[in-house]
Amino acid sequence: MQSTWKKLLLSAALVVATAAGASAKETVVWWDFLGGGDGVRMKKLIEDFNAEHKDSIEIQATTLDWGVPFYTKVQTSAAVGEGPDVMTYHASRIPLAVSQGVLAEITPDDMKIMGLSEASFASAPWSAVHVDGKQYAVPFDTHPIVLYYNKDKLAAAGLIGDNGLPKDLNGVDNFKAALKKLKDGGSKWGISTVTADGSFSFRTIYSLLCQQGGSIGSDGHWLEGDNADKLAKAVQVISDWVSNGYNPSYTDYPTTVALFTSGDAAMMINGVWEVPTMTDLAKQGKLFNWGAIELPVFFDKPCTYSDSHSFAIPNNAGKPQTPEKHAAVLEVIKWMEGHSLFWATAGHIPANKAVTDSAEYKAMQPQATYATLAANMIYDPKSKFAGVASPLFDAAGNAFTAAINGETSPADAVADMKATLNALK
Amino acid sequence: MTATTADLSRIAVRSSRFGDIGAILLTILTIICAVVWFFPLYWALVTSFKYENDVLSKSFSLLPEHPTLTAYIYMLTHSRLLTWYLNSTIVAVSTTVLVVLMAACCGYAISQLRFPGRKLLWWLILASFMVPVPALIVNHFIIIAGVQLLNTYPGVVLPQMIAPVTIIIYKQFFDSVPRDFREAAVMDGASEFQLLFRIFLPMNWGVTTALAIVTFIGAWNTFLWPFLATKTEDMMTVTVGIVAVQDAFGVYYAKLLAGAVLAGLPVATAYLIFQRRVTQAITLSAGIKG
Amino acid sequence: MLKSRRNEILTAAVLVAPFVAIYGWLFIYPTLQMVQLSLTDAPLIGAGNWIGSENYAQLLSDKIFHTAVWNTSYFVIMTVIPGTAVALAIALMVSRLRGWAQSIILAAFFLPYVLPVTVVYVIWDWMLNVQYGVLQHLITPIMGQPVNVWRRLPWLLPMTALITVWWTNGLSILLFLAGLRNIPQEIYEAAQLDGATRWQVFRRITWPLIWPVTVLCLTIQLILQMKIFDQVYLFSMGGRTQATMVLVQYIFDQAFVHNKGGYAATIAVALFVIVIAFSVLQFQALRARSAQ
Repeated sequence: MQSTWKKLLLSAALVVATAAGASAKETVVWWDFLGGGDGVRMKKLIEDFNAEHKDSIEIQATTLDWGVPFYTKVQTSAAVGEGPDVMTYHASRIPLAVSQGVLAEITPDDMKIMGLSEASFASAPWSAVHVDGKQYAVPFDTHPIVLYYNKDKLAAAGLIGDNGLPKDLNGVDNFKAALKKLKDGGSKWGISTVTADGSFSFRTIYSLLCQQGGSIGSDGHWLEGDNADKLAKAVQVISDWVSNGYNPSYTDYPTTVALFTSGDAAMMINGVWEVPTMTDLAKQGKLFNWGAIELPVFFDKPCTYSDSHSFAIPNNAGKPQTPEKHAAVLEVIKWMEGHSLFWATAGHIPANKAVTDSAEYKAMQPQATYATLAANMIYDPKSKFAGVASPLFDAAGNAFTAAINGETSPADAVADMKATLNALK
Repeated sequence: MTATTADLSRIAVRSSRFGDIGAILLTILTIICAVVWFFPLYWALVTSFKYENDVLSKSFSLLPEHPTLTAYIYMLTHSRLLTWYLNSTIVAVSTTVLVVLMAACCGYAISQLRFPGRKLLWWLILASFMVPVPALIVNHFIIIAGVQLLNTYPGVVLPQMIAPVTIIIYKQFFDSVPRDFREAAVMDGASEFQLLFRIFLPMNWGVTTALAIVTFIGAWNTFLWPFLATKTEDMMTVTVGIVAVQDAFGVYYAKLLAGAVLAGLPVATAYLIFQRRVTQAITLSAGIKG
Repeated sequence: MLKSRRNEILTAAVLVAPFVAIYGWLFIYPTLQMVQLSLTDAPLIGAGNWIGSENYAQLLSDKIFHTAVWNTSYFVIMTVIPGTAVALAIALMVSRLRGWAQSIILAAFFLPYVLPVTVVYVIWDWMLNVQYGVLQHLITPIMGQPVNVWRRLPWLLPMTALITVWWTNGLSILLFLAGLRNIPQEIYEAAQLDGATRWQVFRRITWPLIWPVTVLCLTIQLILQMKIFDQVYLFSMGGRTQATMVLVQYIFDQAFVHNKGGYAATIAVALFVIVIAFSVLQFQALRARSAQ
């Protein structure tokens, strides 16, 4: 509350201290979009950092609305030189950001100072933060989507195997039969997924496309060959669930989560970042027996959509970072990377290999259960039209919402999307 | 048309009988409509006093089964609500003081003084009514960014100081003051400033109070410009903060509504206390003496 | 004499200076800048190249712009006329009451008007929540199932219009109340003596006498709703924004999300022209009416 006064005092102190030549406390302005369960974890990390660096660095964090609002703010602020000092950024959006000149390069020297290199990271997120051989962000985590399930409800429907994990879910028809069993067994909804927002359903649909061996293509060559059909098939899976009453229609994100946690929906497809929501509720004794597994194999092979959070430095027009500020920012990133084991409790898979190889991480549940998907992950196409809050994202939102809820046919929606994408330049 | 007393009393009885039932029905209808109209606010209050689990319960009840303050306590301790309150207050008060002062001075000058460009200025002010200020947001952003005032109090306040209505009301008010007051005071050697602040304004503090309250409410409530001009949590006003910042954790509806209640509380209270003044200001703004 | 005249001008200059400074800097200048910007291809911040009327040509064939114009008109029609009618009805009901009863009832109708738009948004978003919103209890029997009004295209704008009427009606109600109070009681008493019914009183007396206020309300609401942004932006956030776009929102979208400052300025100029045209029309209509 007194942060305005604190800022004034801090700036005054900074001026005096710098004038006196003493080392002053650096403030690092931090923007992220992390709300919900993982947001709570991040706030704790920031708190801990500030406590440990009481006399040298202070992070002043702001959490803005996820998606378009966040990226719009970053873009307009950087353009006037008023962006933050460091921010979280989706790896999928980095090509788009670089094409807009929003991000500052992370040099090999920077990496050396932080004690990090290519060897520190898993290969997928590492390559995702590079454009034309240059690095623009430091990977922090990978966050795929997983299948959450209500163990009690599934057990009652005979869907839990001897190993305590769900069974009979592979294959489109099997899965639909399972949903029917759950509904007949008394669940209001067999599954809840986000159906009000095609750009979120895109993650599941994209996974299903990949499971058929399909690919969305890239600039100028979107959905060529039979990929359009495969995409339509993927969309069909979800629209079938909705039309059969297994998945509620036009349901937004918070409601989707609420449906699962209240027991109305027996399963949920959502990102790993809802794991802390579940663990915290379970700790308070307010949740049923639950679990999370890799997405079932609906088609031919396992495949799961994933994206990464990374730390990036905005390119503030006309106001490059001072060496002191830059050093402070690098210290922040280095510290965060060093504490990514705690970040793993937010459900995310740390990008840092040392952490994922450690015994403590391997012991975490349900992370250990779904860790298998790491070998089957697929990212957004590397294109300046793709990523969170991108034209591809928009196109998915406009096309898929209608198709999933039965307003148009999946084939029409895909044709629409293909036309929109191929018109991008 | 003549009517005998008997006729008159018959008519009176007929209309009063008809009138009585109709009147009662109308009054009942009015009350029902008022209750329905108020329901959303009532429901917001009810939800804010529930536990998050109860919020999702299937049963519908007009009162919370287990009333609690947890949502409010969370919002007050875990979010930046208090900072936002401070920001809203600073912005709203500054805007109000500056606008009222500026408008009184300008309205007085246009009303009482003769100077070149007076007619042009008055015409410009009247014409500005028609201009959609939201169309200027892009340019406002460019200009304020250009002077490095984004995410600062002045940056948020400045574009809100365009208030032609306030000047028009002051000018009309000053116009209505009889000329003898002015002539007498000028004879006594009073300066224009003394005239304005010692005589004209005090003649009807009601107008100033009304305008101040309405300007305050408007400044508190404005969304678009503060939304564009602020970037960090600690500079947002409460109107912007409750939607621009993600502070949710799990199911959060009670907290969200508690935040909304807290955000609207100051202006709602201001209205309820100063009901008459607000009414007066609004009707004044529309050019009708209420 | 000359000196005191010079003093007068000087004093006036001092008194109007602050306003003129702000007005010039943040009103006149941006308006001119807006027109200038619309003739370039500039991004939001920074210079661009002169492209003449290319932006305007693009605007004429822009499908989303047409959608925005259509949606804005649709929204205006749905708020202005029903809103004014509702306000008149409420004012008629409230004007019958006296004293503290009137104050309380009026407060119930007026309170929404003093609330910020974001508070209105939060409240109604919750009430219409597709799974847990209390109003779904009303919608489900009619539609057969709960409806996510924010994601169903035919529902979004009408629902936003309804909420806008609920939110802004207070202003019109007050104006009508003031207007009703200006009608002399004697006219009503005479009508009662003549045995007129309530409906006849309304049609023959109230309606014609209140007409200037009705016109005023209609035109205030018209100009107000043409500039709609806040509610539509908030309620359609994350949804199919292209289909539900309104004019000011399109300016915002092009400038801040797509970084096209020049094109956004073009849309702004178009909005400017539309609003001024309507304002002038309104002014003439009012003048013609009162001349009758």
